[in-house]
Amino acid sequence: MAPSLRPGTNRWQVFGRLAPWLLLMTGLLLVRFSKGAGFVDAYALLTRPFWPGSAQREWVATAADLEQRARLSLLEQDNQRLRELLDLQQRGETRRDVAAAVISRRPRDWWQQLELSRGGLDGIAKDDAVLGPGGLLGRVASVTPATSRVKLLTAPGHSIGVWLPRSRQHGLLVGTGATRPELRFIIRDPDVRPGDLVSTSPASTLLPPNLPVAVVQSVDLQAVPSSTAVVQLIAAPEAIDWVQVRTR
Amino acid sequence: MNRLHRQPICVASALMVPMAILATPPWFGLDGVPPCWVVLWLLPWALVDGPVSGALAGLALGLVLDGLTLDGLTQVPGLLVLGWWWGRLGRRASPVQRSFNLGLLALLGTGVLGLTMMLQLLIRGGGVLEPSVQAWGFHTLLCQILVTGVLAPMLVSFQLLIWRRRVPQ
Repeated sequence: MAPSLRPGTNRWQVFGRLAPWLLLMTGLLLVRFSKGAGFVDAYALLTRPFWPGSAQREWVATAADLEQRARLSLLEQDNQRLRELLDLQQRGETRRDVAAAVISRRPRDWWQQLELSRGGLDGIAKDDAVLGPGGLLGRVASVTPATSRVKLLTAPGHSIGVWLPRSRQHGLLVGTGATRPELRFIIRDPDVRPGDLVSTSPASTLLPPNLPVAVVQSVDLQAVPSSTAVVQLIAAPEAIDWVQVRTR
Repeated sequence: MNRLHRQPICVASALMVPMAILATPPWFGLDGVPPCWVVLWLLPWALVDGPVSGALAGLALGLVLDGLTLDGLTQVPGLLVLGWWWGRLGRRASPVQRSFNLGLLALLGTGVLGLTMMLQLLIRGGGVLEPSVQAWGFHTLLCQILVTGVLAPMLVSFQLLIWRRRVPQ
């Protein structure tokens, strides 16, 4: 072995030159034993702008929605069977939904109405309930052979009987022209608070029973002659293109 | 001579009113309230064709529009009065030509029509207008007045131009 030019310091110099590499190896070992913690965190930080956004979230929401709808239809069948057992449903009654497109809408004019693309020829009659995604929209006011006119729940003077499922109380939903109709209670001191669901009565015969209609937004217990509440309708007539008419 | 009502094409142009009312998209207007199309058609017609023809046109359009809307409120009396009034203006005064005058007339007409609606609501409510109905009524009235007044100088002066050419004074 040839003698070194600078004997004595050689071994330490080699170590000094190797030190960064050794540090790197140690770091990689740490990464290995920590299952890549630093790398994944850095990756997460860098790719945050590209994370799956609302579209993906909508997929998940759609899947959840589908599941709930499946459960709802199962429960509805169950409910139907129980109602038949109780003989609440008249025999031989044929109810079906007719899908109709909204061909003209005037939700904010002096009249609150929609024109639908189906009419008497499809079995629609006056006073049929009109349903949009979310709940009840209104009732059919008049019918021609090919079209029908819907009086929205917001139309002034349009009143239907409704029911609060939580407190099991009846009320009268009265349209005032504005987008939020008024809920009037029959009793003096009703058990109602903002956020309560308003639906059609389970024993209703004029309207389909147990349809969601609105959500209570604010309550005025001091109103005369009886307490009132302002409700927000669930189905928005400004945005809906297709509706279901429940023929009787 | 007032000959506008003897020209079938001019009479047929009234069909534009119900079509426009049905086809107005929800975004066309102020806060969802559409313009009052019938005022925009009736104003030039009455100015050119005189009070009797104007009142008859108002009556006819009012009947058609009442058929297109829900029961309860009628536009016939308001349109009848407006047709007569505008017809007299066109006959007696020097010809209304300035676009902004037309805008003002349309604005006043829409206001009168809206007030007849409010009056009917008042009568139907037994002389009492509930606060919520009142708020909605004045909101609709104001929005419709503004958007009709904005459209009138353009549309009405255009119609006046065409119809005055067809009916030499």
